[in-house]
Amino acid sequence: MSIIEATNLEKHYPCPEKSGETFPAVNNIDLSINTGEIFGLLGPNGAGKTTTLEMLEGLSVIDGGDVLVDNIDVKKNPYQVKKIIGVQLQSNEYFDRLNLSDLLLLFANLYSTSIEPKALLARVNLEEKLFALPDDLSGGQKQRFSIACALVNNPKILFLDEPTTGLDPQAKRNLWNLAKDLNDEGMTIVLTTHNMEEAEYLCDRIAIMDKGSIIALDTPQQLILDYAPKPQEIPLHGNIEDVFLALTGHGLRD
Amino acid sequence: MFSGGEPDPTKLGLVNQSQDALSFKFVELVKKEKTFVVKEGAESTLINELMLADQTALIIIPETFNQSPNPGKLRLLLDASQVRQADAIRDSLEATLLSIERDLRNIKPMFSLELEDVKSRPQRYIDFLLPGILAYMLMNLCIAGSGFNIVEYRRRGILKRLFVTPIQPKDFIISIVLARMFIILIQLSVILGLAIGLLKINIVGGLISLYGVILLGAFIFLCVGFFLGSLAKTQESIRPLVLLFTFPQLILSGIFFPISSLPQLIQPLANCLPLSVIASTMRNIANDGGGLFVMNFNSLGILFWFLFSFFIATKFFVWQKVAS
Repeated sequence: MSIIEATNLEKHYPCPEKSGETFPAVNNIDLSINTGEIFGLLGPNGAGKTTTLEMLEGLSVIDGGDVLVDNIDVKKNPYQVKKIIGVQLQSNEYFDRLNLSDLLLLFANLYSTSIEPKALLARVNLEEKLFALPDDLSGGQKQRFSIACALVNNPKILFLDEPTTGLDPQAKRNLWNLAKDLNDEGMTIVLTTHNMEEAEYLCDRIAIMDKGSIIALDTPQQLILDYAPKPQEIPLHGNIEDVFLALTGHGLRD
Repeated sequence: MFSGGEPDPTKLGLVNQSQDALSFKFVELVKKEKTFVVKEGAESTLINELMLADQTALIIIPETFNQSPNPGKLRLLLDASQVRQADAIRDSLEATLLSIERDLRNIKPMFSLELEDVKSRPQRYIDFLLPGILAYMLMNLCIAGSGFNIVEYRRRGILKRLFVTPIQPKDFIISIVLARMFIILIQLSVILGLAIGLLKINIVGGLISLYGVILLGAFIFLCVGFFLGSLAKTQESIRPLVLLFTFPQLILSGIFFPISSLPQLIQPLANCLPLSVIASTMRNIANDGGGLFVMNFNSLGILFWFLFSFFIATKFFVWQKVAS
């Protein structure tokens, strides 16, 4: 059963080169994300992953198409959607002079709910940082704290936007385990990532985007079978990175 | 919110030094006037009350009342800086006097009024200046407190983090406005306290009314700050926007000199500016003893800017990117 249904989703931005013209950042895509799965959006820079994610979250105006999140129309009721989702952004900054406990209570108030900050921090292994300031946290701790912030309303769906970018392998593994644990508790997770290993390890299904379109969507295993070089070819063992490069090319994107 | 402009009864002190029957008749008729709350007493006591603004005006019926060479001559003591009240009192008294005169003679005027300014609250330039300066400080503090902060919050992505929650712009704006109002009230109270303590500024009207205007002004300018913060991309670009809003008002809003001294052509525009209506209302309360909840041009101006500023603040508010 799908919890997110997107049909003919479109988003246009002004063309930087030609004044008055637009280009499609997201071009007529359809998505169906199932309840309880971890769904990954992969793509090179500028592929439209974050734009798609922001439209699903109700953060960005939808130029065309429709999105239903848990049967709520995102275009009509973005604030209703925000009540049932948790969002971890690529970068997170907070109000100065508020410690982690204060910030969690603040965010809980924005959802009109009450929480126990220490218990919530314990879920992301940060209970000893209850009274620390966000600036005093390491990169991995900051990401875990941003997930804690996204969990204050006990969301049905958790959106993670490149959650492990810039983290060391230990912090990365720790965050993957956290995502797996949350998923085991029944939470649907939608994530964007550049990290092929992450997508392969975490995701039940993956959509690969390029130039605003979905060019492949399936389980990691099926994508490897369909697109990775065959065993007799070099390299001998394919992985999702091979799939990604085969589909999107080797050229640098910025 | 507004009382419709119905004036309160004037507190009138009355000293009767005459034993003439006519004087008693006069006192009796004055007491019947609904526009006065009359208090009789000794001259020194009532003059003291007038100085403390417990009485608005004082009528002294001299010993020589109804005697030659100036029969019927009364003395009216009041603060001439309260011009509108002085006129109203004089009109009312003259009507009373005419009524008595008709009763007694019905031929020719028997009484004349001599207006004496007791200078209980002599108005200095600093008295004129302070409300304007307070209003100008209020505007600058508010715009710095909302406009500059909002640009910084957006640049750092704090607004975007809040945007992913169900909070709506109006709720966010109201919460920031209330928090800032508290700080601004403290800041202006310190300035006002120093002005009263060191410069011996006399606030004729009620402090509650004055603070009421300060709160309304804070709301208006904080909302304008939010609007400017929504238009600006960076801290550098908000500075000229803020200057464009504040500097003309410094000249046109009667902060340092009355709007009536500006060229006739621009006076209507100057009178409509938000700083003008706030400063004029504060001046009216501080210098003339006026009230906040009186229906007049400035109170309507405050109401308009209150609604309009909140509308533009919420309508144009942007969480993540600047308005195009």
